[in-house]
Amino acid sequence: MVVSGALMGLVYALIAYGFQLTFATSKSINFGQGELVMLSAFFSLSLLNWGVPYWLMIPGGLLFGVVLGLVVERACVRLTLEQKSEGWILLTIIFGLLGFSAAENIWGRDDRPFPTPIPTEAMQFFGVSITPLEISVAVGVLAVMGVIELFKRKTLLGKAFEAVSADRDAAELMGISARHTIMLSYGLSGLVAAMAGILISPITTVGPTMATALILKAFAVAVVAGLDSGFGVVLVGIFLGALESLTSFYLGSGWREAPGLILLIMALAVRPNGVFGKASIRKV
Amino acid sequence: MLIVDNIHAGYGTSEVLQGASLEVQAGKVVALIGANGAGKTTTMRAISGMIKPAQGRVLLNGKPVQGYGAARIAKLGLAHAPEGRKVFGPLSVEDNLLLGAYNHLPMFFGFRSKAAHDLEKVYDIFPRLRDRKQQSAGTLSGGEQQMLAIGRALMANPKVILLDEPSMGLAPVIVQEVFNIIRRLKEAGTTLLLVEQFAKSALEVADYAYVMEHGRIALSGTPAELHKNERMLAAYLG
Repeated sequence: MVVSGALMGLVYALIAYGFQLTFATSKSINFGQGELVMLSAFFSLSLLNWGVPYWLMIPGGLLFGVVLGLVVERACVRLTLEQKSEGWILLTIIFGLLGFSAAENIWGRDDRPFPTPIPTEAMQFFGVSITPLEISVAVGVLAVMGVIELFKRKTLLGKAFEAVSADRDAAELMGISARHTIMLSYGLSGLVAAMAGILISPITTVGPTMATALILKAFAVAVVAGLDSGFGVVLVGIFLGALESLTSFYLGSGWREAPGLILLIMALAVRPNGVFGKASIRKV
Repeated sequence: MLIVDNIHAGYGTSEVLQGASLEVQAGKVVALIGANGAGKTTTMRAISGMIKPAQGRVLLNGKPVQGYGAARIAKLGLAHAPEGRKVFGPLSVEDNLLLGAYNHLPMFFGFRSKAAHDLEKVYDIFPRLRDRKQQSAGTLSGGEQQMLAIGRALMANPKVILLDEPSMGLAPVIVQEVFNIIRRLKEAGTTLLLVEQFAKSALEVADYAYVMEHGRIALSGTPAELHKNERMLAAYLG
């Protein structure tokens, strides 16, 4: 039970990682990220309903997430960054609200099951009971994060990404376009959100509110771990997920959301740069 | 190679440059000297596109580039090693150098082998960078960071290099070393615009020099001519 909680925590980590990607290049984050998770999940479900095979649904859903990420960058972020304003905070929140209403109108308010070919019966590993579905979540999260980290370290474009995060002006002097890099980071952040949606939907079902609590906890993980440590979000995510399942077991499931929020308050009070964070970040 | 024609530029409402003009011919080292706040760095920033000039023209190889973004001007063959060096601290020395050649290298794979020849050339000029190529740039000393900033500019094989205050904050011995390197680059035929507060050292390497005061060019001439100028002697070489 603690183990399956920890695996759920990896989904928080994945969404928090999406915050980190855009924060690194542009010092902005998408407050409508939860709606990106939800919209991508709905879109993927529709793909399945239209008869698209399961293996094709995943790239389709991810592509949808990338497109949404790019739309957020173009519509809500780019102009406000050019004017050096914080307008992206409000605009991304508004984008989230629009996405929420759109989902209610297109797909309805009800939660719907998300079919999966992966078995959901629990198996026993060394006395720990765990379902293959939960394992698929962990594998999916780590695979996506691993591929993106490899991209950042091994390709020149990835190094350019890191250069823009380190010093935007100097990167421009090398001929690296900061605007394209920021677009790339929003695209990747959308991809990560879509992946989170596809992974978690078979467990939680799909509905307009599916990501509301999820996003708060991902935000807690990002703040606790710091907005610059990919390794940190994985550890904090696992920790929070495990803590939540312990809380709901011993205190009752009504208290399930409590640890994440308490953790968030404590982190902001004690270590605002995050446990794994280095540089001081601007508070929003 | 590089012509700056009557540019006006500044930050917000304060105009720092009030009609500065200068020219750098191919293969020459030109020094831009002057007191703190005279507008030397602003001139560099206006040339490389870090700020947009309000008026005037910048011609790179005959092509007007004023108003272009910095990334676009860099692609056209201008490398700017900025004031304060601005190396990418978290990245390794070698990654910093590779990014210097960003415009000429493939985006995904094979960039290391394509850059190998230029990397070797830079490592031959700066052997200390070869010793530290895996180290993150932020852990280098000030002098090493300056060498990295120059090496990174060389990696682009640019038409013109702008070098802003390479001696800033360095110990006198290291400053000498940096000037020796500038001399070597000059012998190799590099076109260079050098901003310096140390007028004496700058005049030793330059073919031609401009003296900047209050956002305008106050004086210009070959080092020999400037050495004869009384005002120059009193203000900068005394």
